[in-house]
Amino acid sequence: MDKSSSQRFDPLTRTWWLKHRFFKLYMVREATVLPLVFFILCLLAGFVSLLQGADSWQGWVAFMGSPIVLALNLLALAASLFHAATFFVLFPRVMPLRIAGHRLPDNMIVAGQWAGVLAVALLFFWLLGRA
Amino acid sequence: MSGDKIGTDNLNTKLISVKRYLPDRSTEPYWQSFELPVDDSTSLLDALNHIKEQLDSTLSYRWSCRMAICGSCGVMVNGIPKLGCKTFLRDYDGEIRIEPLAHFPVQRDLVVDMEIFLEHLAAVKPYLIDDNPVKPFDPAAPQTYQQSPAQLARYKQFANCINCGLCYSACPQFGLNPEFRGPAAIALAHRYNLDSRDHGKKQRMAELNRHEGVWSCTFVGFCSKVCPKHVDPAAAVNQGKVEAAKHTLIALFKG
Amino acid sequence: MQQRDFDIVIVGGGGAGLRAAIGAAEQASQQGSPQRIALLSKVYPMRSHTVAAEGGAAAVTSAEDTHQAHFDDTVSGGDWLVEQGVVDYFVHHAHQELVQMERWGCPWSRKDDGQVQVRRFGGMKTARTWFAADKTGFHMLHTLFQTSLKYPEIERFDEYFVLDLAVHDGAVVGVIALQIATGELTLLRAKAVVLATGGAGRLFRFNTNAGIVTGDGMAMAYRHGVALRDMEFVQYHPTGLPGSGILITEACRGEGGILLNKDGYRYLQDYGLGPETPLGHPENKYMELGPRDKLSQAFWQEQQAGRTGKFGDSDVVYLDLRHLGEKTILERLPFICELAKSYINVDPVKEPVPIRPAVHYTMGGIETNPQCETSIAGLYAAGECASVGLHGANRLGSNSLTELLVFGRLAGEQASRRAAQTEWADSGVLKAQADRQQALLTRLCDGQGSGEKWVDLKHAMVQAMESGCGIYRTEEGMQQSLAVIRQLRERYRQVRVNDTSKIFNTELLECIELGCGLDIAEASCLGALERRESRGAHQRLDEGMQKRDDVNYLKHSQVFYQGDGHAELRWQDVDVRFSAPAERAYGDAGKEGKA
Repeated sequence: MDKSSSQRFDPLTRTWWLKHRFFKLYMVREATVLPLVFFILCLLAGFVSLLQGADSWQGWVAFMGSPIVLALNLLALAASLFHAATFFVLFPRVMPLRIAGHRLPDNMIVAGQWAGVLAVALLFFWLLGRA
Repeated sequence: MSGDKIGTDNLNTKLISVKRYLPDRSTEPYWQSFELPVDDSTSLLDALNHIKEQLDSTLSYRWSCRMAICGSCGVMVNGIPKLGCKTFLRDYDGEIRIEPLAHFPVQRDLVVDMEIFLEHLAAVKPYLIDDNPVKPFDPAAPQTYQQSPAQLARYKQFANCINCGLCYSACPQFGLNPEFRGPAAIALAHRYNLDSRDHGKKQRMAELNRHEGVWSCTFVGFCSKVCPKHVDPAAAVNQGKVEAAKHTLIALFKG
Repeated sequence: MQQRDFDIVIVGGGGAGLRAAIGAAEQASQQGSPQRIALLSKVYPMRSHTVAAEGGAAAVTSAEDTHQAHFDDTVSGGDWLVEQGVVDYFVHHAHQELVQMERWGCPWSRKDDGQVQVRRFGGMKTARTWFAADKTGFHMLHTLFQTSLKYPEIERFDEYFVLDLAVHDGAVVGVIALQIATGELTLLRAKAVVLATGGAGRLFRFNTNAGIVTGDGMAMAYRHGVALRDMEFVQYHPTGLPGSGILITEACRGEGGILLNKDGYRYLQDYGLGPETPLGHPENKYMELGPRDKLSQAFWQEQQAGRTGKFGDSDVVYLDLRHLGEKTILERLPFICELAKSYINVDPVKEPVPIRPAVHYTMGGIETNPQCETSIAGLYAAGECASVGLHGANRLGSNSLTELLVFGRLAGEQASRRAAQTEWADSGVLKAQADRQQALLTRLCDGQGSGEKWVDLKHAMVQAMESGCGIYRTEEGMQQSLAVIRQLRERYRQVRVNDTSKIFNTELLECIELGCGLDIAEASCLGALERRESRGAHQRLDEGMQKRDDVNYLKHSQVFYQGDGHAELRWQDVDVRFSAPAERAYGDAGKEGKA
């Protein structure tokens, strides 16, 4: 007798991720891509309208100022920060860094990454301020 | 010097529901509840043994060492994979629902078929590969490799896997595609890849650097959460992705 | 019934079985004729009880250490009831086996210079115990299992329960196994069979052993006429957790842990193990690094004198590690911390760990010659199930992990040599034997018996063994235990299991295991009763029997199975070719002697 003939198997249902908080959080992390897609599309539209001339550009600026678009882009910002937070925590586990044979503590690597974000943001604001 | 923090006091009863499956009798699983006496030290495994010896001798489950090192007694406790011997009923209020490990075929009651897990383990060549050793092993003049504590520390964590399979029950990607080599197998491959004595990384890459290898993983990370030995298989799989990517790049440049 | 043919069948997938399989495979390829090897285990190999060994594996390693010293420690540790030729072979092959493990990837703990680190162990004159933190058995088992995957000639039969050997004309011809998943019998014809089925600690109520350590292999050989030797010697490990009996490794003391009674006094100095060694400076063969039998006996004495503490229902003494400091404890003894925290909620870094002795190891077993062969041609045994004569009346900690390797390999190689010169027997013998087993199974499941319950018999057995064959024994207590066990064997004939299904019927397996247990329990009790002296782990309180008696009892006990009748005991001479029996002394008392 083949042992598999009497076995039962529960295949995963489409709603598997609703069964546990951990999976829901994972799905939220993965879903952060959706508002980001919206933001990227806005950005692309901006480039296109820039090429099309001043009227088009003004229209885009107005569109970007509308409350709904503003809210969606704020959501995208929050989502990307959330994604960054989860990613930064995972990073030291994916790329453990070693200095002179000693493993750098995880929280130092996480802090380093946030310091990087801050530096880029400051640079950006500085450039914007000069412009 | 009195230590009676965990004793036989605090005796009370608890309700445990077990998902039964007896293929000789019926093709459908069913739930069976047991009320049993527990104290602060009662583990889930103690409870199952109590059921088997006193309440229903037909209940089947695996167990052996009762000290969380043999890896036999994995089950789902309220939907989360756990070792029965390391789960204490004192930590649960209300009904406790016990099911066989998820994502594996069920043979009977709490016993799942681990065959595919063993196939995945074997597939990644989980042994030391050193085809042209500087000094071959000679029983007449046996000599070890040199390995510093720091070199040992690089892979030690990944060598602590007890093959209990909890991580496979935690991994939705394995649940969706059982061909995925899975957390424990890839962690074991990574353990040997990181071992300073080993030269088999290239051979293992054939298994790791493909869809059913590391690339099925989306870093859900639950495998590491449920691991009773803190092996962190998710880290191993994702470090494996970095290695696999390097491997591809190098192969590309070498033509 | 399916039948398969193999050159070699190995029963048991623990350290000894895996090492035998690899040894046989290597031997066969050296002989130039590959052989088919079947490895059967009632559990997946990595579940085997080797996995729970913590402390380490002994071998002469440092330049200052000598084979002679390891030999002397083992012989005196075993109270001279050891086969000295076997010990000599063992100490000379120990090191190469541990190095071989290293070459297979075993993650031994290391010194800063990259060499393998050794630690102190009880009863050993010097530090010679290799270790992988405090999970040595776990790492050895997984290394062996993973290495075995390299050999395509080894075919595994995981979760096959071997019911019986098939023996014809004084030679083994195969085994009959039950596939647990389906309940079907499988016949494996073989030219040689290696038993590596482990000990029988589960005969006792309070033990450090896994649930699978039920002595099935011992019973199988015994029922076919092979002697069980020295079964009266059962090791109590001095440090088990109260309640569960979970093992707390001797390495705790090797690293410098101390034992205290309820008054905080290091009581071992009162039992011939002193003087007290300074805190943090453990000394080999002194105090906490005395042998296990002496330490467990000292606990009993303290308990009688009312100087033990209480933890739950258990009388306990205390293992204090705190002075080692958090760093050392976490680096060298991480598993111990995990166990103590999980199972009794005590953190060894902050508090002394309450502990008490628990049955740990079966020194005796299936009698083999120094080449691991039993009295049945082609049947070999290695590891805890065997009595090759290494441990005598008391095993030294860290000798058994090495034993798995040294004698597992030897048994595998011998089996391979025999298989190369032997033909398969006629399969009719195997079939007849299988029919008998099928009938026995049917009787257990649908029997007409009065319906004795295996659970009741099991509880009575472990109770009887604990009360009559404990750390200290009396004539009366042992008489009683033997009578109970014999009664239980009779009742067992009426036993019936409730579960009649074929698929994964664990009740049936427990019932079969109990039958095995009862048979060997009788052998253990009988040996204990007839040994009218005190030696090693066998200590009697009876008048005139409290000392070792070399005139009458420098002999192995051999117990022979007599079917449903009472087992028979004979005595066998001991190989003392190198070292004449001397006084066994530890602490300062051991200084002048050759120990």
